[in-house]
Amino acid sequence: MIALTLANLKMMSRNRQGIFWALFFPLLLVVVFGLFDFNGVGAADVVVIDQSGGPRSELLRERLEGIAFLEIEYIDISPDEAWNKVADGDLGYLIIIPAMFDDPAGQAQTGAPAPVTLVYSTRDPDRNQLVDGAVRNLVSEIQSDGGPIVPSELLTSDVISVPEVDYFDNVLLGLLGLGIMTNSIISIAVRISTYRNQSILKRLLVTPLPIWKYFAGEIAAHVILAMVQAAIILAVGVFGFGGHVHGNILWVFAITALGSIVFLNIGFILSAWAKSPAAASGMGNAVALPMMFLAGTFFSTASLPWLLPQLSLALPLTPMLTALREVAIDSVPIWDTWPYLAALGGWILVTGLAAIKVFKFG
Amino acid sequence: MEHAVQVEHLVKRFGTFTAVDGVTFGVDRGEVFGILGPNGAGKTTTLEIIESLQKPTEGRVSVLGLDVQTNAAEVKARIGVQLQASAYYDYLNLKEILALLGSFYPKRVSSETLLEQVGLSDKASSRMGELSGGQQQRFAVAASLVNAPELVILDEPTTGLDPQARRNLWGLIKEVNQRGVTVVMTTHYMDEAENLCNRLAIMDHGQILALDTPQNLINQLEATYTVKLTMTKPMTMAQLKALNGGIEVIQSGEQAGEEPGPENTYLLRLTNSPSALQTMLDEIAKANLGLENLQITPVTLEDVFLDLTGTELRD
Repeated sequence: MIALTLANLKMMSRNRQGIFWALFFPLLLVVVFGLFDFNGVGAADVVVIDQSGGPRSELLRERLEGIAFLEIEYIDISPDEAWNKVADGDLGYLIIIPAMFDDPAGQAQTGAPAPVTLVYSTRDPDRNQLVDGAVRNLVSEIQSDGGPIVPSELLTSDVISVPEVDYFDNVLLGLLGLGIMTNSIISIAVRISTYRNQSILKRLLVTPLPIWKYFAGEIAAHVILAMVQAAIILAVGVFGFGGHVHGNILWVFAITALGSIVFLNIGFILSAWAKSPAAASGMGNAVALPMMFLAGTFFSTASLPWLLPQLSLALPLTPMLTALREVAIDSVPIWDTWPYLAALGGWILVTGLAAIKVFKFG
Repeated sequence: MEHAVQVEHLVKRFGTFTAVDGVTFGVDRGEVFGILGPNGAGKTTTLEIIESLQKPTEGRVSVLGLDVQTNAAEVKARIGVQLQASAYYDYLNLKEILALLGSFYPKRVSSETLLEQVGLSDKASSRMGELSGGQQQRFAVAASLVNAPELVILDEPTTGLDPQARRNLWGLIKEVNQRGVTVVMTTHYMDEAENLCNRLAIMDHGQILALDTPQNLINQLEATYTVKLTMTKPMTMAQLKALNGGIEVIQSGEQAGEEPGPENTYLLRLTNSPSALQTMLDEIAKANLGLENLQITPVTLEDVFLDLTGTELRD
C-alpha cells in the first residue's frame, strides 16, 4: 500500500499540467477576492441610544444624521446588547448619549461632565479614526457653547479589541474548502474513469492486491496532495493578500484532511457512473459548483431564500467550512467543533459505504 | 501429474446470452495451449474465469490444483496475466511500473531482469507512450512475469502488431515457455496458433469444436490441398460440381459475398491430389472453360476452421 501511495504521488507530481489547473481555479479566486477592498467601501452602521431626550441630544442626533458616511439607526436595544453586537462584528458603532447630556447644571454639581460614549471594535482602524473624529467634533461643538469644557472629556471611546478578521479571511477559508472539494471530487473521478477505460483497474484486479489497499493507496496519496494544495492556497492568501489564520494551523489541516476524504469518496461514487473521463469531469463540476454556493463559500447561507439554508446544513461542505472558520478565525479548539467533525465523520462513513457498493473495476 | 489448468463443464451466461457454453479442457504443465477463435467466440470470458476476474455460472475451474473460486488470492499470486489491450500508468516509467506491480506479490523478479528478458533494458526509463506497439506488447509480457509465475495467460498478445513484431513476440513466448512456464494464450491468427501452440482448442459460439495438436487437426481433414481457379468465363455451380473426382466447392466468385476475389475465381478443395487434379484439369479442358490461373496450396488451420465452423474467421 505504501508502494502504491508513493507511486500515486509520483504520478501526480509528474502530471504537472493537471496539478497546475487543479490549483489554478481556487488560486484565481483567492487573487480576485484578495484584490477587492471589501472593507474600504460602504457607510458605517451606527446605533444611537439616547438616554437624555433633550434638545441638545436631539441636535446631536440631527447633526449625526447629516454626516454622509454614517448610517444612523435607533433600535430598541439595551446598551449591553448593543455592545455585544459591536464585539461580534454585527454592528459597526454604538453611540450612547447619557441622561445628563442636556443638564450642564447637573454636570457642574457632580463636578464631572457626562461624556457621550462611542463604542467600536478594532476591526477597521481607518474608519474608526474617521468616525471618532467626526463624533468628537460634533459633541464638542454642541457642548462647548455652554462654557469652556475641555473637548477630550466630552467623549469616551470604548474600544473593543478583537482579532484582526475581515471578510477576506472568511472567504479564504471558503476558497480552501472549495479548492479541496473540487480537486478531490474531480481528480479522483477522472482518474478512476481513465484507469477503467484503459483497463488499468482490471490489470490490478488480476494481481493479489486486496481491493481495500488499492482504495487506501489512492486516498492516502490524494489526501497528501490536498494538504499541499491547502498549504499553497493559505500561503497565497496570507502572504500575498494579507489574510489571517488565527487558530492552530494543524487543526486547519486536520479538518481539511477529513473533508478531503468525504469528497474523494464522492469522486469514487461518480466514477462508477461516468462512462468516460470527460463525463466524470462534468459530473464532478455538477456536484461541486452548486455545493460551492449552497454551503456558504463566499456568502452567508442565512441570506439564501426558501429552504436552501436548511439544505445547506445537509451538505458535507458546510460542516467542513464551519469547522474551518471556527478553528481558524475564532481560534476555537478543535474539540469544540465536534458536532461538525461528527458530521464529517458521518459523511465519510456514508459515502465510503456507497462507494464500495457502487464501485466498478471493469 | 495434475493439470496446470482444468476446466470442467464451464458455462457463463450474461442475462440471456451464453458466452461460454459447456467447455471442458485441461492444460498440461509446461505446454503452450492455444484457444483459437473469432471475436465473440468466448475465449476472453473463459480466460477471465480462469484468472478469477469473473465467476462461472456453472462448472468448475482449477488452476495449479487450486479451485479459482475458493483460492482466488493464491491463484493470482502464482499466475501471470496479460490482458487484451490493457494499458499501464502514463506517468511512471517501465522500471517503476514493474516495481509497483511486483510490490503486490509475495514473490517478485527485479525490474532489470524482466526488462532484459524482453529486450527492453534500454527503455527502462521510458514511459509507455514512447514505445512502439511491439515494444508495448513485449512489456505487457514482462509485466505478466513480475511474480515468476508458473503459468502465464496471454490474451491475444499479438493483435494489431505488424508481421515482424508478431514474429519477434512469438520468439519471446517460446523463450518464456522454454524456461518451464506453462502458457495459455488466445489468438485469432491461424499461423500464430500453428507456430506456437503444442495443443489447440478451436472455439466458436462459446463451444470447443476441436482440441488437438495443430498437425492432428489438419490431418483430420480429408482434403490435403486447396485449389484456387481463375477462369476467363464465369462458371455455373453445375459446371463447378461437374469437376468431380473428390472436389468440393467451398467458395465461388459469386458466393464469396463479403470479400469478392478477382472475377471468376473459385476455391476448391482436393482430397486426393494427383488423380483429382488431373481429372479436374481434364474436365476444364473438355468443357472449354478457359483456365486463366491455377494455385495449389496445402491445407492449413484456416481450412480446418472453415470446415468446423462453416465460416471464415470473423475479425
